[in-house]
Amino acid sequence: MEKVDVIIVGAGLAGLSCAYELASPEMSVLVLERGDFSGSKNVTGGRIYLRPILPYISDLWEEAPFERHVVKEMITFMGDDNSTTFELYSNRFNQKPYPSYTILRANFDRWLSEKVSEKGAFIITQRRVDDLIIDRGKVIGIRIGDEEIGADCVIAADGILSFLAEKAALRGPLNLEHFALGFKEIIKLDPKIIEDRFGLGENEGAAHLFIGSITKGMMGGGFIYTNKESLSLGLVIGLHSLNARLIHEEVYKLLDEFKERPEIRNLIRGGEVLEYSAHLVNEGGIHAMPKLYTDGMLLVGDAAGLGLNMLFTVRGMEYAIVSGVLAAETIKRAKKRNDFSKKSLSEYEKLLNESFIMREMETFKNIPKVLRNERVFNKYPQIIPSLFEDLMWVDETPKQGIYRTKIARLRKEFFNLQTLKDWLLFRKI
Amino acid sequence: MEIFVLVKQVPDPEAMIKVKSDSELDIENRYFTNFFDEIAIEAAIRMKEKFGGKVTVLTVDNHRVDALRRGISMGADEAIQITDPLLEEANPFAISRAIASYLKDKPFDLILAGRQAMDDDAGIVGPAVAELLEIPHVNAIVSLEIDPQKKEALVRREVEEGKEIIACSLPALFTCQKGLCSPRIPQVLNVMKAMKAQIKKLDIKSLGLNPNEILGLKDIIKIKNYISPPKRPPVKMIKEDFPENVKILVKLLREEAKVI
Amino acid sequence: MENEIWVFAEEYDGKVRRVAFELLSASAKFSKKIGAKVSSILLGNKLSEAIKSLTPFSDKIYVLDDPILSPYTSEAFILNLSNLIKKHRPYLLLGGVSSTTKDLFPRLAMNLKTSYAPECTSVEISEDGELLVRRPIFGGKVFSELKFSEARPIMITIRNHTFSVDESLNKSAEIFSIEALKDSTISRKKVIGIEKVKGERVDISEAEIVVAAGRGIKGPENFKIIEELADVLNASVGTTRAVVDEGWRDQRDQIGKSGKNISAKLYMAFGISGAVHHTLGIGTCKTIVAVDIDPNALIFNYADYGIVGDLFKIVPALKDELRKVVSSG
Repeated sequence: MEKVDVIIVGAGLAGLSCAYELASPEMSVLVLERGDFSGSKNVTGGRIYLRPILPYISDLWEEAPFERHVVKEMITFMGDDNSTTFELYSNRFNQKPYPSYTILRANFDRWLSEKVSEKGAFIITQRRVDDLIIDRGKVIGIRIGDEEIGADCVIAADGILSFLAEKAALRGPLNLEHFALGFKEIIKLDPKIIEDRFGLGENEGAAHLFIGSITKGMMGGGFIYTNKESLSLGLVIGLHSLNARLIHEEVYKLLDEFKERPEIRNLIRGGEVLEYSAHLVNEGGIHAMPKLYTDGMLLVGDAAGLGLNMLFTVRGMEYAIVSGVLAAETIKRAKKRNDFSKKSLSEYEKLLNESFIMREMETFKNIPKVLRNERVFNKYPQIIPSLFEDLMWVDETPKQGIYRTKIARLRKEFFNLQTLKDWLLFRKI
Repeated sequence: MEIFVLVKQVPDPEAMIKVKSDSELDIENRYFTNFFDEIAIEAAIRMKEKFGGKVTVLTVDNHRVDALRRGISMGADEAIQITDPLLEEANPFAISRAIASYLKDKPFDLILAGRQAMDDDAGIVGPAVAELLEIPHVNAIVSLEIDPQKKEALVRREVEEGKEIIACSLPALFTCQKGLCSPRIPQVLNVMKAMKAQIKKLDIKSLGLNPNEILGLKDIIKIKNYISPPKRPPVKMIKEDFPENVKILVKLLREEAKVI
Repeated sequence: MENEIWVFAEEYDGKVRRVAFELLSASAKFSKKIGAKVSSILLGNKLSEAIKSLTPFSDKIYVLDDPILSPYTSEAFILNLSNLIKKHRPYLLLGGVSSTTKDLFPRLAMNLKTSYAPECTSVEISEDGELLVRRPIFGGKVFSELKFSEARPIMITIRNHTFSVDESLNKSAEIFSIEALKDSTISRKKVIGIEKVKGERVDISEAEIVVAAGRGIKGPENFKIIEELADVLNASVGTTRAVVDEGWRDQRDQIGKSGKNISAKLYMAFGISGAVHHTLGIGTCKTIVAVDIDPNALIFNYADYGIVGDLFKIVPALKDELRKVVSSG
């Protein structure tokens, strides 16, 4: 069986970052991607946080095709027919190095794959890996059709439902509760109009989250991110909730209804829908992670369950990139020792634990529990606009004392046994 | 057997192509080997596997060689790229002249090409090269049998009424149609090797061509400007239930569209 | 001074292909603007019927009647046409889009070092006598308008049904019989026979009405209902790449990028999702009807009329309804 040094299955951010770091005259790296091109199967909301990844592959990010750097953060709490928005503008966000950028995966991944190819790794698309070749418990290669290719190490960067992880017995059957479904549209809009509507300067961006009645009581929320010449607009909904409530077609309807909200309609008016896409998101947190390595194989990115819903943001891309780089580092060291056994590759987990990735996964390990609390998406978001609306409403009846009425209301909504229990849980975030 | 395959890389059918201005197109950078050329490559490789010999893939392109690499990964022995600034945006006649000037002193038995390319949809180069090389050609073949001893080929070509069976002396040029054979998916390792393979580059000077002749051929036919396809009016969805919708459709076809 | 417009009148089985009459009718209009005569060019064998049919449509007919010219071979045709053209240097040489012109015209153009625009969807002569030719490229995603040099003739092939036949034409053509030339190249190729396709239907690329079914038909035996609908409409039956790849229908019925372009006046698509591969083949159809069970099917973006529904119910009902209408005349 012919062999290469490393086979990376999946040319997403994790796979490509790993390949970039590994590719050298001494290391033959083969990246296999089942999509038509790198990025064709990948989706993000979305926005990437630059500063955590800056120390890794730092020479690349200068010329990366990011969209806009985010200077405005907005959160909107939505009732059925009202909403309240909190908006943050920060000068701090508006200074280089910018903390985050909006991003479009089809462009970004394709650019990164070109960089990886330039470095000497082989990226072959439209190839789906069919199986691992396992010899006496050790992964020694992969099978595509009837072709077998050997490798010292296989990197499973095959995404969220990683079948390679399953084949290598690194994880058990999948649990619906650990995933959410994100679906979005890219809506073309003139840059000047985007800047006007969101109150932005040239190249500046906004990240806008929505929570409340738009998910009809299901766990999840909405988002709008401003790209250079388009908006990314979509919803993320917990798979468990979704399955229990809706049939497939109605997922589209939810998005349409979101777009129909007066608050949203006016933001996207005149826009042209260019693309529709959907993707699963890891939301199980640290408890849902598979084993990360075995003899001859490592898991990176979504395949390793590295993803976090932090409520105000969803993390995945930075984890993918850095886990890819750390996997590459592990392999370089393993190659020096010529040892790709489980013991040797365990260094990967050590590196991950020392990095921000596992520290955050550990810190936020209770979020999945919080997310399962439907009041987070239902009751609590809707109270805020409701309160505000009461405050601002003036009609024929003489306005009642503010303190009296609002406190009475607050007491009713927030100071009860159920809410207290919820608070105890929130404290764990 | 000495076989040459004329190949081309064209935008993927899924690639976005838009009219940027009168004289410019915006083409998404997604290219692949022209569908019919892949069939030609496959047919050539099979002939080589059967009778032995050499397969050379040849392209005229100033920017890309994807089709050449594909040919090599499928089993071709050599790859030739004819590239020259003068051939930029050349019409099929100029391109045919360049190809013919390369092939005219080569001892080939067979030249294969795709029946048309998915960019200009013209189908000119194959027959035009055959004319310049003064060899017989058959267009759009769906079957190919060779007798190297007798120097003869038996082909079937698609015609409106069915399939015409033609006996043709070699050397000859055939353009290939879907159905001739199914192109193999090259092994990953062969794709890797093809990515590193050497490609011979030739320009107009090394082909011994007079630049004026190329310029003259380029002048014969040119694109004056590009236009977007005419927009069809939006669809009229017939929302009534069955069987009313059928009756309404027939009425519309009769009275509005007037096609029945 | 532009002298003649030549129309390649392709003959098969003694009859002239319909597209020639479309082109002759269009040429009659062109000739009014530029004062050129319209000539039919007829090569083949046993051509008396063909000549008769062309007479009302042509100012002149150049006939080469010889066994060597039937069936078509590029060798015999190039030898004779090239010779004829060099003598007269007509302004235009027009032809329909057929397996013959696809085989012949590119080689003939290279032989004459003249221009050739294949599969054009629009040919016009402006008021100032300027030739305007348009053709689709990239499968029809873009159209190009062409510029020609002084080389003559300008060779153009045009899709079926782009022009209509002017039945009112009543010329009395001057007939020129020309002796066919032969040379040694003719023996390089020999047509041994033809495997005729079963059935009486016209090829989909020539048909006026095409009905087609895609994967939604769920199996080859179900094409029966489509065939029955086609019978009522005197239509041809097409299909998609997916169906051909499954082996349910023959490659010759395939509509689309790697199949055939159709330019029917009515195209009906049943259970066809409308992938770009397919829709690039139907762009020049005059009226498109789509029926599919999926309301989001892409085919509805290309259709003029659409129904979301079950084709297994709709097709038979459509057949019955059409039978009523067609028979009532």
